[in-house]
Amino acid sequence: MGLGVRSFSKSGEVVLDTENGEELMHVQPSVDIVFNNFPPYSNGTLYISTKQVIWVSDVDKSKGYAVDFVSISLHAVSTDPEAYPLPCIYTQIDSEMDEDDSDDSECNVIHDLSKIREMRLIPSDPTQLDTLFEVFCECAELNPEPNDEEEEEEHDWVFNTDQTENEEPEEEGYVSQNPTNSLGQSNGNHDLARTVLELEINDKRFEDAENNGDGSHH
Amino acid sequence: MLFFSYFKDLVGREVTVELKNDLAIRGTLHSVDQYLNIKLENTRVVDQDKYPHMLSVRNCFIRGSVVRYVQLPPEGVDIEILHDATRREARGG
Repeated sequence: MGLGVRSFSKSGEVVLDTENGEELMHVQPSVDIVFNNFPPYSNGTLYISTKQVIWVSDVDKSKGYAVDFVSISLHAVSTDPEAYPLPCIYTQIDSEMDEDDSDDSECNVIHDLSKIREMRLIPSDPTQLDTLFEVFCECAELNPEPNDEEEEEEHDWVFNTDQTENEEPEEEGYVSQNPTNSLGQSNGNHDLARTVLELEINDKRFEDAENNGDGSHH
Repeated sequence: MLFFSYFKDLVGREVTVELKNDLAIRGTLHSVDQYLNIKLENTRVVDQDKYPHMLSVRNCFIRGSVVRYVQLPPEGVDIEILHDATRREARGG
């Protein structure tokens, strides 16, 4: 979760944080952008970096928007005219200001960028959609939750550190490992109990999230 | 890595991914990565009245951190293997 959509207005020049390893992955000219159900902003250039998506208007270079990949909950290729008249990349935006339920949907302009929950990117060339989707996937995977590693350390009896120690992920999965181990061994029950405990803890955390989620629909 | 290994085994099966914002998306599991990011194909939204615009997206990438639950196909759950893997995971690998 991050800051959601923010205004981008650095005199139309896209400046990346190259010192922290940010790289430009893809540039897509002639893209329209739509927030929530507002009318589209036409004719912009889309810059996809390893950290964020930036759209800059071709007409008014001082007008632009940026959103970090950590704020993009999901992205998808939308080609159903019933969902949206034009083929596009559909994204859902998550921001830290989730508590606020009111929205601007009755107005024709966006007053508060933090209330943007959906963003559509419409390239004039729809054959680029699959490429854009793949670039989005690649970049999303480069931006896991910032606190993932802390969690791993705190609960290392659930998330072991194999993955971080060995660069190669295990290909075989758990099935091939020691399949002869039988159920019901004495120490096994103990471990199982701990796992159940962890699941319950997780459930509580999810419950909180659910309550917040419910609030946002009224 | 237990869940990663487990979900990798479900690739190709039909699952329902429930997000923390209450959206539930059903689709064929295309792939999963170490952060439990999930790619679905042939997706459809379970509660279409609530999310009509999401009716049909061709393929969909869901950020692992926004997933609340993944509903599995019953035949994709081998309890014996899960018990075994869970125990091994609890012992530290």
